[in-house]
Amino acid sequence: MTEQTTIPATSGAFTDGMLLPRTVKVENLNHFFGEGELRKQALFSNNLEVRRGEIVIMTGPSGSGKTTLLTLIGSLRSVQEGSLLVLGNELCGADRDLIVRLRREMGFIFQAHNLFESLTAFQNVNMAAELVGLDPMIAEGRITSLLTRLGLGDRIHYKPNSLSGGQKQRVAIARGLVHKPKLILADEPTAALDEKSGREVVTLFQELARDEGCTIIMVTHDNRILDVADRIVNMVDGTIKSDVAVQETSVICEFLKDFPLFSDLTPTTLAEIADQMMVHKAEPGKTVIRQGEAGNLFYLIRSGSVDVLIDEGQSKKKVAELKQGQYFGEAALITDEPRNATIVAKEKSVFYALGKEDFRAVLATSATFEEELRQALFNR
Amino acid sequence: MSNRRIPLAWKNLTHDWRRLAVAIAGIAFAVLLMFTQVGFQNALFDSQVKIIDDMQGELFLISKAKYTLAAEKRFPLSRIYQARSCSGVQGAYPVFSELTTSMLRKMEGGIGNPGYPLRSIGFYLDDPIFRAPEIREQINRLRQPDTALIDRKSKAKKFAFPRNDDQLLAQQAVELTNKKVTLVGTFAMGTDFAHDGNLIMGAENFAKYFPHRKRFGDPLSVIDIGVVHVQDGFKIESVQDLLSRTLGNDVDILTRDEFRTQEINFWDKSTPIGTIFLAGKMIGFVVGMVICYQVIFSDIADHMPEFATLKAMGYPTRYFIRLILVESMLLSLLGFIPGAIASRVLYSGLSAQTGLLMTMTDHGVAFVYAATVAMCVASGMLAVRKLLSADPASLF
Repeated sequence: MTEQTTIPATSGAFTDGMLLPRTVKVENLNHFFGEGELRKQALFSNNLEVRRGEIVIMTGPSGSGKTTLLTLIGSLRSVQEGSLLVLGNELCGADRDLIVRLRREMGFIFQAHNLFESLTAFQNVNMAAELVGLDPMIAEGRITSLLTRLGLGDRIHYKPNSLSGGQKQRVAIARGLVHKPKLILADEPTAALDEKSGREVVTLFQELARDEGCTIIMVTHDNRILDVADRIVNMVDGTIKSDVAVQETSVICEFLKDFPLFSDLTPTTLAEIADQMMVHKAEPGKTVIRQGEAGNLFYLIRSGSVDVLIDEGQSKKKVAELKQGQYFGEAALITDEPRNATIVAKEKSVFYALGKEDFRAVLATSATFEEELRQALFNR
Repeated sequence: MSNRRIPLAWKNLTHDWRRLAVAIAGIAFAVLLMFTQVGFQNALFDSQVKIIDDMQGELFLISKAKYTLAAEKRFPLSRIYQARSCSGVQGAYPVFSELTTSMLRKMEGGIGNPGYPLRSIGFYLDDPIFRAPEIREQINRLRQPDTALIDRKSKAKKFAFPRNDDQLLAQQAVELTNKKVTLVGTFAMGTDFAHDGNLIMGAENFAKYFPHRKRFGDPLSVIDIGVVHVQDGFKIESVQDLLSRTLGNDVDILTRDEFRTQEINFWDKSTPIGTIFLAGKMIGFVVGMVICYQVIFSDIADHMPEFATLKAMGYPTRYFIRLILVESMLLSLLGFIPGAIASRVLYSGLSAQTGLLMTMTDHGVAFVYAATVAMCVASGMLAVRKLLSADPASLF
């Protein structure tokens, strides 16, 4: 049979492209606040993977633990239980030197600007450049161009008290970016900004992600910038409720839409279906489903290809070959009959599987489905 | 400008000039307090040994029982003769001094006040005792009977005589130990904590005023200080050695430095004065520390989110410790300069007022500056704990 994983299809863990190294890997992460009787769990065995160059937006109501998770990833809090790998370093039990070194590879953008009133915009940004030992000439050029880019070209040598709130926030953003961090952690970076400069900031983020392979994790409620997210993580009550790769989800939805039964569904419903699918893997030659067995999963081929075989007494006859984007296993779910064919993986393949119950629930949403289905089966 | 590291300590310190001014004023005040204590202490000690500094000679004989100059312990004249006979001694000369019975009063309308005690110093007028040329120039005036020179730095309130006009001074009706004395001139020596003024006179006059120095016999046969001149070509130490072997064990033979040190040690160690000044200096130190702590602490408290951000960025603990260290050093320097200037002004004012020798010695300046740095650094290191508690996790 196939190797069944607990990875949701929409997590984007499997793409047809090359897999980039993980910037952040969270495994079974628990976190508690308080001591003794007052000890309260804030994070409940969370898992999350963020790959190089991804822009992740974290959402969720306040108190859901997203900020706690962000501070843990940022090594600003020590890890209590579980595993947290950041830029290849385990943070659970990490010593001070490692943490200090790691922090220099990250860029932090806080909700408050936290600029030194005594330093000019340039000097505040330079505090970050100096720390990583950037050559002063290079640093000067980079700071000037960053601040200019963020619309502060004429205010480079102003002190914070002669800058507006938005301008100060942009200086703080420049400070978080100037040393070309590998990982940027941002908390509502655009909250204090107007539409235009907010857009400029996220465009800058996108460029960094694309050109420098910089990973960005951002907590935001600003839905004007949701479009830049590669992945949207939603947290509720200390647990990651959904972790959706935007690109992958749209690929799945495109595939699902091609399935005649689902062609009428709205994007929202399609996304919900996608959310319920799990990743299955199969090595070449492995049987995915066997003719005659009870069926309880619907498969979508994410990558690879399979042969469809039908038993004819002693031998098996290959009747079809299915490729990426095609699907199988639906008939047994609809008719409640045993599988009517055997499916064997031709190469290393990845499937997204939907459970019988979920599949039926989707079908039940529209009466026209069954009609259509019968039609479809009849025409086969 | 971008070639240098950002001087964050300096920038933070000078950003709010009002706060800086208050800080500087506070630290300067502490510096002034300490300088006052050091000044008074030095003044006490230097004034106390001024008579030693004013005398010629390389070695001094005093009674073993004389624990301080103000103690009226004497040794017999024979020791002077013995000293004169030692090889390497060019000359040994007696100096007589009286304090408790030496009451000087100004007669007014025949009655006058009860008088105040001052130190009367007697010596044989041909002996080379005092360095000051003004004394040597007036030696002939002292050859007259019932004459004396008065220290014009004597306390003006107690000894209200004209000090700039010798003519007028000589016309004053003055009595010393109830006998008439003519003040034929002035010299400068200065007061100290035991002596409010000084008179000098010839030995013969001295004997006349203080016949009670020795109950039976010649008042000039008991000596307060013996001044020894060492012959050229002789080592002072070897002459001192010879003298201490030759003379009886009732006298100490001291070099100039030993004499000074013994006198200063008495005031420093055997009287509460040293402790009082130490307490005074400590109060200045503590006041400065509190002010300095306050300044640095509030600077840190006002910038907690900024410091936490620096921590999040990866600035290590030692950066913050160095930052506060530099800040405290700067504060100490900024506070010390005006404090020292103010102290200098105060010193000259007090010197003029009291006649005490208030001088700013290199040693005193070094001591106060070291104390100021220690005070600022100590309070900085106390305050830095607050900074180290800055939690970057609180920023998100």
